[in-house]
Amino acid sequence: MIFPAADIIADAPRPTPLFSAAASASNANIWTSINGWSASRVMTSIESEYEAAKAGAVIADLGPIARYAVRGSDAPAFLARVTTAPAQRLDPGDSARGLVLDDRGGVIDLAEVSRLSSDLFLLTTPTAHARRLKMAARGMDAIADDITEQVAVLGIFGPEASEALSAAGLKMPGDIVAASGMVRGVETAARPIQFGALPGVELIFPKEEALTVWGRLLRRGKVTPIGLDALEVLRLESGAPRPGVDFIAADRARPGAVRTPFELGLAHLAPLDRGGFNGRRGLRRRALESKRRLITLSIDDDASMPGAAVFAQGKSVGRITSCAWSPAIRRVVAFADISGDCADTNYEIAIPAPADGRVTARVFETAESALALDFRRSQNAATDFRL
Amino acid sequence: MTAKPEATQSAGRIEGGIDAIVIGASADGLAAAAYLGKAGLRTLLLEESAEIGGPVRARDIAPGVAGVDGEHLVRILDPDVINELELYRHGVNYAARRLDSVYYFDDGETLHLDGDLQHAADLMLDDDTRDQFGTFMREALELAAFLRPTFAPLRSTEDAQSTKQALDKSVRQASPEISALIARYALASIEDVLNASFDDGPIKTLLTSEAAFLSGAAPHEAFSFMGFLRCLAGETAGLQGAVAYPDGGVVSIINSLRRAVQAAKVEIRAAAPVKSILIEWDRAAGVVLQGGGQVRAPIIVNALDASRAYLDMIGPDALDIEFQRMLTAPQSHLASARLQITLRGVAKDEATKENLRRRLVFSPPPNDVRRAFIDARAGRIPESAIVEAIFPGALDTDAAVDGGQILSIVAHPFPFDQAPDARRRNEISTVILAALEKIAPGISEQVDVIDLRLPCDLAKVTGANIAAYAAKPTIMQQWALAGTAVSASDIGGVYFCGPEAQIGSGISCTAGKNAAKAALREFKKEGGAP
Repeated sequence: MIFPAADIIADAPRPTPLFSAAASASNANIWTSINGWSASRVMTSIESEYEAAKAGAVIADLGPIARYAVRGSDAPAFLARVTTAPAQRLDPGDSARGLVLDDRGGVIDLAEVSRLSSDLFLLTTPTAHARRLKMAARGMDAIADDITEQVAVLGIFGPEASEALSAAGLKMPGDIVAASGMVRGVETAARPIQFGALPGVELIFPKEEALTVWGRLLRRGKVTPIGLDALEVLRLESGAPRPGVDFIAADRARPGAVRTPFELGLAHLAPLDRGGFNGRRGLRRRALESKRRLITLSIDDDASMPGAAVFAQGKSVGRITSCAWSPAIRRVVAFADISGDCADTNYEIAIPAPADGRVTARVFETAESALALDFRRSQNAATDFRL
Repeated sequence: MTAKPEATQSAGRIEGGIDAIVIGASADGLAAAAYLGKAGLRTLLLEESAEIGGPVRARDIAPGVAGVDGEHLVRILDPDVINELELYRHGVNYAARRLDSVYYFDDGETLHLDGDLQHAADLMLDDDTRDQFGTFMREALELAAFLRPTFAPLRSTEDAQSTKQALDKSVRQASPEISALIARYALASIEDVLNASFDDGPIKTLLTSEAAFLSGAAPHEAFSFMGFLRCLAGETAGLQGAVAYPDGGVVSIINSLRRAVQAAKVEIRAAAPVKSILIEWDRAAGVVLQGGGQVRAPIIVNALDASRAYLDMIGPDALDIEFQRMLTAPQSHLASARLQITLRGVAKDEATKENLRRRLVFSPPPNDVRRAFIDARAGRIPESAIVEAIFPGALDTDAAVDGGQILSIVAHPFPFDQAPDARRRNEISTVILAALEKIAPGISEQVDVIDLRLPCDLAKVTGANIAAYAAKPTIMQQWALAGTAVSASDIGGVYFCGPEAQIGSGISCTAGKNAAKAALREFKKEGGAP
């Protein structure tokens, strides 16, 4: 799950249930605000946290991300309406990713839907959508309870995440399927998540148990706390766009800044033949137009340059929206918002003063872009249902 | 009409061979059906009640005394509809093409205004008043005529864009005089405009009443003057801004529309309530009747209120959330009251007879109008109200009552009540009768029968969502709602011409015309050959 953009004006952010635990673990003590909640940017160092995620297991406080428990006989239809996730096809234990779209087919947010049992779904979105969900539930037998403030949420990622959970005695079927139940006397929900190529598990439990579970994982599971900045590197490597950074939510964007799933490289998350999700008609109208493209680039440089101009064949075609140094490829990985008619693989990026100049960059394939490519190929092979 | 209950006729049946279905036989529904039928489409008009006409329908308000619910005057009936549907040939005839108005003021003074607003100032005796009023009316009528195209509901977002561009262009190319008028009038409140144009006095008082009448926007609210411009943009009986009374009352407009529908070979099926609209692959495929049968057609024109047309008949899961939010946005808190009373012993001298053939308006002082809006919006019955009264029996001999007269009244503003009790109804009647006393002292003693109709009464009869009969909000809000409602959530083949699609109050039929024309364009584009 992706964190949204940090709040621009953070007026006394609230502590998450895991705040004191994270604060104890944070040597760097660098904080930001996400959705009005405190979030640690760096625990020890970005490099050490990144390495731990790649080689071992890391633990992150996912409390600032919005969560809703969805119940009711129309819950699958409701979720299939408010998100593009195929909620009606999910069996208990299944999870699916999707998008939240507006009526023009513009992307408002990312979404993940898990079916914890026959009558209980979990909806997770980077930003909160309580009003929207309330409106969407009118006329349907579905209730979306905002549980963000009632629960503590931990993400455990990395190749050794499963072992860490076992060592802490918190092993649930959650690393394979979404499930809920009692673990060591604590009511817990778990579901598998992925951060790019990193497998992981998300544990959701009552906020009163937050410090106990965190402490247990730290003591027995041998996990390393990770902050947002290291997660940001992993996010960029995985190719997942960040709401508020790589695109502006369609319900807040000016008309020219609205982005469709096609433009964000996320068409595979909103296939037009997938049921009746909100915005499908608007999306169908705009399916064949792609005014902008969000691409991932690897840049031959070691400096981060959000906002830097992107050039193709000497012409300015867009800007870098987010970037970070990737220890894995030893280059900067970046998202760039470029003109839709630009199909080059090689670009140049402007370097600001005092260096002034341009460095080369090329399109970088990520897990997400590979999924989008597969989807596009499958669409081209099938009858074009959009016509 | 004695239609057999539809349930017994159609249960389990699937009917085909129909090009278009119109749901709801209101004025707009009838107009839409007539346009579609006239263009050669096999059209079916479905009306849930046994009578057609929506809220406009004849009804006995007392034994042997026929009244008419809904509107009692025609202000903004679309001249294109009259011409294109040949409504004159189908029976529209005006008993009074331009009603003169007599304004009664709180201090007992009166003022007679000619029904032809272009020349109303000419009759005024005072030079200063004549010049001031003449200039004001000329400018207001000119601006209203310029803005007329914007008062038509739009079919879709694309239409809205192209209309906006066209309007932008015409505003850019407008004469300096028109540009100045737009700057002065279009965005301002009634109070601001009138305070800038007139000193305190009868002209300002009557114009405040006229501009605030039937409006959901209080006279001190921004954009409220635009509502008055919308009224002045009407061109009833060929005269801009005039108020007309048709022979037989407003119900005769419905009857002539029905004849136009029949002439267009449209099948009218009364007592045939529609349960839902069939949507297949985001396109209309027909309707399911309450009785269980289906009628399949690629075009559905819905003239019911937006809540029923979309939320009940299509269902939220087929609609976009943004569209649903717009439909369920809070509506106006104000409403008008319709009162029909029978009077005995009305004087029969020529002077009285002449006055009975006019439109009589009680205009409270501007401050009282402002206070009335504030009270009504807060749910209180205001102490005074703007009252418009006509005597149908004097205008139209068919409406005369033996030995007396019917007085038909519309009063505004009152609170928008969901279910007012008898005490509250009585309070409303009392306020209206008090205003009538200013018009004709002692009239209360001559009242035989009082028949009060509020939005909840109309909703009960028509089955509509009561909000459809609330006073219309500012023109800006009406534009936004109409633009959304007519876009039909982009479901192919669904067209909307319910009350939310109309800009302004009163019978217009523009929404029905536009919905039908949009449907015909699409039908032809997709290869249909009417």
